[in-house]
Amino acid sequence: MRRQAWTTSLIAYAFLAPALVLMGLFTFYPVIYGAYLGFTEYTAANLGSGEPPRWVGLENFAQVLRDPLFQTGIWNSLKYLVVVPILQIASLAVAVLVNQKLPFMAFFRAGYYIPVITSISLAAVMWEWIFQKDGFLNWSLRLLGFFNQGGQFNWLLNERTALWVIMLVTFWRGFGYYMVLYLAGLQGIPGELEEAATLDGASAWQRFWKIIVPLMRPTILLCSLLSTIAAIRVLEEILVFTGGTGGPLNSTYTALLYVYNKSLGLDFNYGVASAAGLLIALVGFGLSYLNFRINREGGER
Amino acid sequence: MIKRLLAAGALVLGLSAFAQTQIEFWTYYLSPNFDNYIKSTIADFEKANPTIKVKWVDKQDTMERDLTASIALGKAPDVVNLWQDSTFAGAQNGILLPITQVVSRSVLDQLYYPNVLDIFNVEGQVYGLPWYGWLDQGVMMYNPDLFAKAGVDVKSIKNTDDLLAASEKIKKATGAYGWLPAVKDPNGASFLGRFFLEGLSIYDKDGKANFNSPAHVALLQKYVDAMKNDVIPQELLRKEAFQLSNELYSQGKSAIIVGAPTSLNRVKESNPDLYKKTKIASAPLGKAGIQTGGAMDLVIPKASKNQAAAARFALFVTNRTNQVKFANVVPIVSTAKGSESDPGLKAKSDDPLEVGKGMNSSSGRLINPGFKPPKNTDDIYKNFNDNIEAAFLGKKSAKQALDDAVAFWNANAK
Repeated sequence: MRRQAWTTSLIAYAFLAPALVLMGLFTFYPVIYGAYLGFTEYTAANLGSGEPPRWVGLENFAQVLRDPLFQTGIWNSLKYLVVVPILQIASLAVAVLVNQKLPFMAFFRAGYYIPVITSISLAAVMWEWIFQKDGFLNWSLRLLGFFNQGGQFNWLLNERTALWVIMLVTFWRGFGYYMVLYLAGLQGIPGELEEAATLDGASAWQRFWKIIVPLMRPTILLCSLLSTIAAIRVLEEILVFTGGTGGPLNSTYTALLYVYNKSLGLDFNYGVASAAGLLIALVGFGLSYLNFRINREGGER
Repeated sequence: MIKRLLAAGALVLGLSAFAQTQIEFWTYYLSPNFDNYIKSTIADFEKANPTIKVKWVDKQDTMERDLTASIALGKAPDVVNLWQDSTFAGAQNGILLPITQVVSRSVLDQLYYPNVLDIFNVEGQVYGLPWYGWLDQGVMMYNPDLFAKAGVDVKSIKNTDDLLAASEKIKKATGAYGWLPAVKDPNGASFLGRFFLEGLSIYDKDGKANFNSPAHVALLQKYVDAMKNDVIPQELLRKEAFQLSNELYSQGKSAIIVGAPTSLNRVKESNPDLYKKTKIASAPLGKAGIQTGGAMDLVIPKASKNQAAAARFALFVTNRTNQVKFANVVPIVSTAKGSESDPGLKAKSDDPLEVGKGMNSSSGRLINPGFKPPKNTDDIYKNFNDNIEAAFLGKKSAKQALDDAVAFWNANAK
């Protein structure tokens, strides 16, 4: 009996081995080595002289934390988290709507998913056209009487709006993705529950909050986690909309843009970049923990 | 007997294979547009140097990252196409070979314009062989219809002040912009270039930044006002001026492009009628009366295993014959000495592109390299641009912005 259990686990490991080796080589090793670099001095000059990274302890971390640009970056990345709850509530709500058995539903589901598969550079061209001074957004707001022609401005060139309109693009891109995940979760909820609630006189609003949300908690946790991590690591959108500058006035300069800029060019500083990356990962861990806590507490009730 | 012959044959073959050196050549954004030119140049070289084989790789966006990665992996390319900023960074970090270690200084002086060689001079050593160049001012291309509508005479535009004045007139009369100057391009520090063109200093002889005199402040203020009055578009803070000029000009929304005549290729594609109408004049210059510009260069990484062959190839690609050939494919500025009188660079018809090309390609001797970038370039230029942006967006006065930028420069240029 014992012997058989041993062979079983041996076979299991044998099957796992290829994946583990690949993971180790291409995921764990780079992560650990990258983390190690955060504690070393490793710049372009090392490459020139052929010297290996030199251990400097926490020096890089001190430098990064003192850098006002990194502080701005972290603050902007934290602001970016605003997108998470809005995105999750909206995509769950719409998933419930498109889960109905009505004509043309497939069309809507596909429609909402299109932004997910649209390339960011293509999306950027379209959104720039919307946000510019003579763009669609200003035009619509003017039609609605919000302001006159003189009050128009480019939304990407105003330090009070730039980050928020870029967030809107993240929302637009992520929406369909989370909707599909929620749709999958919704298929697992037995129809009788809702039927019974309807018979008991519960309104659609009550059914959503009392039945769907509690039953969907595991999916909500997963999606919020994914979305939080994506938000704290936002980079692509910033690169295409600001040409990598994080402007105007650094109002869209995110933490990961800092890492990106420090590791680029022939003047790179991998030590500082890795230290900054580790700090961002730390924030990410903290937020993930918070996500678990919030969702577990809700579950106990 | 036959066996012995075969053995001898094999030995000869083996030896010739042994004598073959393969070098790797990296270019920057040249494929697929110039595949024919690069391939034929390589073929010519291999014919003249049968022992050297050239492997061509075109790099784009990821060029610098790939270069550092391949050096770290011990697979350094042998000849790499860089430019001033990257050559400086590479040289200062000890990644590049001083070119005088493989080509003597007197040979360099014979082959290239001295002003261009100086672009790649880092602390007294030349690190790159000058390749194709450009002039920032180049020529002035304009839309005569918009000029006529605004009553602007092209002959009245002599310098950058006239350009701004004409732009204001054009904007008022037609609603289209005039000239789109680079004030804050995403790469580099455009406004330092503006100072330089107007004959204002960037730093003193000890390298201390001093671009915050009243004259500097007044110049910045002039452009800030121009943007406030929408004489130049606010979009210039977000997009490269070159890019935006092309877009707006092709749509008839701006009247002037100042720059390399190559810009017309894109106008030709997107608006052929406007292309035919477009007129060319010499570029108005700033008060310093100079044409700034730059050039690409070919460098050899220290880690290259075939430095001699690499130098031989780099010299071949950058020689006058091959640069003139290149200029006839695309209007680049040849950096090889003697190009000003090369018959291969005379205009062949009065087509706008041809005329512009003739004026442009042979003017390598006019390329003024401008000023040398400071050490710690990335951080300093980032701070400079942030300050310029703050001035344009009205967050800081012009004086405050320049004072802050100077203070940061002097504290951080190690």
